[in-house]
Amino acid sequence: MADVRLTDIRKRFGALDIIKGVDLSIGTGEFVVFVGPSGCGKSTLLRMIAGLEDITSGELAIGGAVMNDVDPSKRGIAMVFQSYALYPHMTVRENMGFALKFAGMAKEEIERRVNDAARILELGPLMERKPKALSGGQRQRVAIGRAIVRNPDVFLFDEPLSNLDAELRVHMRVEIAKLHKALKSTVIYVTHDQVEAMTLADKIVVLRAGVVEQVGAPLDLYDDPDNTFVAGFIGSPRMNFLKARIVTAGEGRVTVALESQPDVTLGFSLRTSAVRPGDTVSLGVRPEHFRPAGTGDADMVLDVDVAEHLGNTSYVYANVSAEERIIVEHGSFRGADGSDRLTVGLSAEKSFLFDEAGKRIR
Amino acid sequence: MNLSRLSGTALQYAFLGLAAFLSIFPFFWMVISATNTSIDIIGGKTTFGDAFLANVGKFFTEVDVPLIFWNSAKVAVLATVLTIAVSSLAGYGFEMFKSKARDRIYSLVLLTLMVPFGALMIPLFMMMAKTGLINTHIAIMLPTVASAFIIFYFRQSTKAFPTELRDAAKVDGLKEWQIFLYIYVPVMRSTYAAAFVIVFMTNWNNYLWPLIVLQSNETKTITLVVSSLASAYYPDYGVVMIGTILATLPTLFVFFVMQRQFVQGMLGSVK
Repeated sequence: MADVRLTDIRKRFGALDIIKGVDLSIGTGEFVVFVGPSGCGKSTLLRMIAGLEDITSGELAIGGAVMNDVDPSKRGIAMVFQSYALYPHMTVRENMGFALKFAGMAKEEIERRVNDAARILELGPLMERKPKALSGGQRQRVAIGRAIVRNPDVFLFDEPLSNLDAELRVHMRVEIAKLHKALKSTVIYVTHDQVEAMTLADKIVVLRAGVVEQVGAPLDLYDDPDNTFVAGFIGSPRMNFLKARIVTAGEGRVTVALESQPDVTLGFSLRTSAVRPGDTVSLGVRPEHFRPAGTGDADMVLDVDVAEHLGNTSYVYANVSAEERIIVEHGSFRGADGSDRLTVGLSAEKSFLFDEAGKRIR
Repeated sequence: MNLSRLSGTALQYAFLGLAAFLSIFPFFWMVISATNTSIDIIGGKTTFGDAFLANVGKFFTEVDVPLIFWNSAKVAVLATVLTIAVSSLAGYGFEMFKSKARDRIYSLVLLTLMVPFGALMIPLFMMMAKTGLINTHIAIMLPTVASAFIIFYFRQSTKAFPTELRDAAKVDGLKEWQIFLYIYVPVMRSTYAAAFVIVFMTNWNNYLWPLIVLQSNETKTITLVVSSLASAYYPDYGVVMIGTILATLPTLFVFFVMQRQFVQGMLGSVK
């Protein structure tokens, strides 16, 4: 086990800046998830930590030692790849023991480690099979086993569940969480799936275009996002953003009115005093934070477009105006007709306010 | 089935039948001729005769069979192994290592495919003469070792080689040459098998270049010897056909042994 420290890490491909100065501290035994949309640089950052990509500038330290120019096999890491990357010409046993054999470890020790990992991952009956004879989930377990036997300081996972079907993904997610609990190792995990990030992480790092947008515990990001990007990325279905305008401002408090329904107003205490009446802002409301009509601080009327009934709850896709469409989680909605109207309550306490640049002001 | 569909099917079968006949007839003719005397063959006899053993006997008397087989096998196997080793390394390198110069160099390599062998023959002969390699088997093998087509074939096949395997191997501590040897080669074995069949056949059947550089009977390969039998003043075609059958057998054997791998390799070898 070791900590990982990234100091002003940058990556440039030709004239293109991929990672634009990342500072990050990952504690020993912590489970950190890099999350962000495709192309945000999360996999590149992980590959830089692994030593599979050169670091253009900045410093990477694992367990206190600078690793910028150290060979991947000597960084004390093990990596699980998206496509599993099992050697197709080797059996499960050979795949798991390959790195150890290559490092010159004694046969008995390899055998012991491989058998231990096989026991933990319940791979016993599969040990003499080749990867092509395994299912996706089994291959993933072998890939994890191959990482475990190396007894690494840091586990690196690069979107390990994205090739699995939905059911297996949930199962493997739980398995990985259990494994981390058992091994207590430092884990860096890359995914574009915010549900995976929320359920697995001790700490989430949200990336966008090579920049860290916010770092924090899953619920801290959910409860307290810094900007519209993080607010929209964390939480499923994603947060609704409604265009609004400052009506009154003074003594740290503002009143905002929805642009599409100006009679709907909400009052907020602000983090900043840099807003004036007339300024455009975004009102962020999560689908699950709408309230029954008459129980919030203000009511708004919606034209129902489509409703998805999941049984325990329904997601109602509705139009606030011709340009604005939102999702409302509604526990008892039964109408599905396009002509339905729905009145929902807004709560200022459960809503967020962002300025024009997307920065959180409340 | 209506008439037009029936006639369409009949036409298809007629075309396929003709194609099959054209493919198979030379083999049939070869085998039939090996059992007949030269006079029967020239007379157009297309049935089995009784001169097979006599033809075999004559062939083994006139030709040092073990020597020409040894020469052909040595040249074909060594050239094939060297060609595949060099060309697969080049194909791997061209695909795996990104650089600005890569595609320019690769284009130059492909450009050599457009140059006919006839244009290279004389400069190659002069090179071999200057280096004292005329009448040696090395002279036959050297020009074939870096084959633009096989480099192209390996590069195209390498596109299907998962780059994550290379990454995993790096994390496991392998150097680039070890990744090539322990991961790439076994994973791409079908590609290697297909390349082996193609290159072996080309080398075994190689005629023009050996004809130019091999001048003594001790170094000649089977294709040259059979050809010289056919161009004698009174060629004994029955004996020539025995030689042709013997010259065909190794390529048939290699193809049938590696048929499954060959087809897999041509379709893309990474499974």
